[in-house]
Amino acid sequence: MFRRKWPGVAAGAALALLGPLVLGGCGSSSSSSSTLTLGVITPATTFEATDMNWGNESPYNQAVYDSLVQASPTGVIEPHLATAWSYNAAKTVLTMTLRTGVKFTDGTPFNASVAAENLEAFQKGTSNNASDLAYMASATAVSPTKLVIRLKQPDPAFLTYLGEAAGSQESPKAWKSPTASTVPVGSGPYLLDPKATVVGSSYVFTANPNYWDKAEQHYSKIVMTVYTTPTTVLDAVEGGQVNAANTFDDTTIPQIKDAGFTVYPLQLNWAGLSLFDRSGKMSGPLGKVKVRQAINDAFDRTALLKDMSDGYGSVTTQVFPTNSPGYESSLNSYYSFNPAKARKLLAEAGYPHGFTLAMPSITTAFGETTYALIQAELAQIGIKVAYTDYQGSTIFTAILAPKYPATYFTLEEDPVPWQLAQFLLTPTATFNPFHSTSPTVAGYLNTMQTGSSAQAAAAAKALNQYLVQNAWFAPFFRPQSSFVADSHTSVRVQAGNAVPYLWNIEPKP
Amino acid sequence: MLTFTVRRLLYGVLLLFVIVTLAYLLLYAAAGNVARTILGPTATQATVALKNKQLGLNTPLISRYFSWLGHALTGNFGSSWFTNQAVTTAILTRLTVTLTLVFGAVIVSAVLSAVLGVWAALRGGWVDRFIQVFTVLGFAIPGFIIAVFLVRFFALGTHWFKPTGYVPLTTSFSGWVSTVTLPVIALSIGLVAGVAQQVRSSVIDALRQDWVRTLRSRGVSERSVLFKHVLRNAGGPALSVLALSFVGLLGGAVIIEEVFGIPGLGQVAVLATSEGDVPLVMGLVVAIGVIVILVNLAIDLLQGFLNPKARIS
Repeated sequence: MFRRKWPGVAAGAALALLGPLVLGGCGSSSSSSSTLTLGVITPATTFEATDMNWGNESPYNQAVYDSLVQASPTGVIEPHLATAWSYNAAKTVLTMTLRTGVKFTDGTPFNASVAAENLEAFQKGTSNNASDLAYMASATAVSPTKLVIRLKQPDPAFLTYLGEAAGSQESPKAWKSPTASTVPVGSGPYLLDPKATVVGSSYVFTANPNYWDKAEQHYSKIVMTVYTTPTTVLDAVEGGQVNAANTFDDTTIPQIKDAGFTVYPLQLNWAGLSLFDRSGKMSGPLGKVKVRQAINDAFDRTALLKDMSDGYGSVTTQVFPTNSPGYESSLNSYYSFNPAKARKLLAEAGYPHGFTLAMPSITTAFGETTYALIQAELAQIGIKVAYTDYQGSTIFTAILAPKYPATYFTLEEDPVPWQLAQFLLTPTATFNPFHSTSPTVAGYLNTMQTGSSAQAAAAAKALNQYLVQNAWFAPFFRPQSSFVADSHTSVRVQAGNAVPYLWNIEPKP
Repeated sequence: MLTFTVRRLLYGVLLLFVIVTLAYLLLYAAAGNVARTILGPTATQATVALKNKQLGLNTPLISRYFSWLGHALTGNFGSSWFTNQAVTTAILTRLTVTLTLVFGAVIVSAVLSAVLGVWAALRGGWVDRFIQVFTVLGFAIPGFIIAVFLVRFFALGTHWFKPTGYVPLTTSFSGWVSTVTLPVIALSIGLVAGVAQQVRSSVIDALRQDWVRTLRSRGVSERSVLFKHVLRNAGGPALSVLALSFVGLLGGAVIIEEVFGIPGLGQVAVLATSEGDVPLVMGLVVAIGVIVILVNLAIDLLQGFLNPKARIS
């Protein structure tokens, strides 16, 4: 008798189990207009202002901290906690007038002494941008609202840095707190809710009720959810679990568009070869301009863009981004795919049979195909590439040691020319491991550093021309990265940053 | 039994010591330049050197290990290098999530396996063949493929469930159900397949025994024969398979949590290991090691309880 009842019992059990599940599913809905759910691709390393990173981690910083100045979406520096500023004639003393009446969320008032201490602490901290304040000699409060910053030498990017992590203002009481890294105390538009936050996975912020600039506070609550794979970002987008999100790559862009999201394309990096050894210390051939030019002529950039980035991005032979004063559109195609010309240049340089070029690889990051393509294209002109593969960050140690005369990498393109120069071009730049320079380059850099805006822009353009002609690099293309937002969310992307600034993400009316 | 338990516990402590020592050495061998990983390519060499010093990486490995061990013995596992959260907090907040999935999968598997196994054993014929095919498929298809299928059809297709994330039970019951159901199903299917086969075989074996015929001849009802006698006898081996699978499910949860974006131990283990977050990985090694040792001890004790012949005095 019980035999016949089993299916009935099973069905009843299944219904009992599925009932609440279906109800639970029906209860799901997208976020309300006063809640922003933002998909991010990296957790916050820390909430301690002196150690905070920028770039992908900038939304965490901007939620809880105010900076001294702010950058507009195009990079123009605007007032924030500092309402006015001026440089002396030598551009080595910056005097800032600070806003009054601003308090941190623990009640401590913001003033020039606090600002000076914050700057000095950041300079000594371990943020990946700690070197932003490398040129700062001192920061002094001459009155509660007057801050004087002395520089060792002019720094045309200094104000830009003060609008990023380096200018973030944290309550002095928090500096001595053992919870400073997980419980931030700033004066920013939102407060971190530590109880609702799962560190590393989901960060919940509520509006700061006493925030001084309500116009920048678009939501009553912001949830930043960390996604660790392109698939989970896509699932969250398609499932309506985020209002806006940063993405890992372009492989899911068609599906994201199908889900009704708007894709905001950004070009933040350039991909290609850095030909570091321009004086031929480690690799004699690379010391010759014709060899470096031959390398540039060896690459079919359009095919590389298609094969390495699914066609998302734009080909180029320069390292200056389109929004930089140093950018020159004609330099996107200064070199063209011409193996015959490349072989001729190599022969003229004394290498008719090519040579062997040692380079590091990190196939776990860029894939086997990338390196195989580069190897194949250089082989066409007789250059044999010998790779040594690295795992994780050890490749940076090898590159910067320097252990290799050249490398493939995707490197950032800063819109401020001096920022780019400090990263790639000055003799002490991080990615100039052989400290390459020349009187011409030094002259342009000096004008960029000390000249007027117009002179600096002209020098940046001339330097760009020089770098391309002398083949300091062999850029392939600027890969596209994408920020995406749903139909309820308005976004203004930020020049030079992977994520729009938080106040530029708002609900559509 | 007490001697046996104490001996197993001491053995467990020794095993844990060996595991953590090996894990610590292997992690440092594979970690690379952690400070550079944290700071990225833009940081200067000077900042990287400062970060290395801050993390204590400028001291010899052996003194770092003993320093870590000393602190760990007092319950202080330090803070994550990548999020600065205390390791114990990071693990405890995620442990409940992972255990929810694993216990959910064990319960669902136990119920479904019992239903399917008994049904197949009793009905035979096409029902048995169907369940046999189902169990073979359950074994053959990896859990992450099932997970992707479930997300596509039951989260993104029907919108019955959430495709990613986790809502705690204390926050919302319906939210909790909508986030744990699919991961639990994905984790359960392989286990159901294994345990259902075990139940089926054991029930068929038991039904052929003389004592079942005796019970029937004495007029005991079929329901009583099944529930009071056959299932009790057949349940032992199935319970063993289920209990042993608990440890395997912890490993399975790593992949499932990645697919569903669930903030559990698995997700953090993948991230921490790939980044070289030594304090967090070591905390995870200890936590998972303790769980595995305790579960194995519990299985031994349970088997001894169910089968006196298995007791070791």
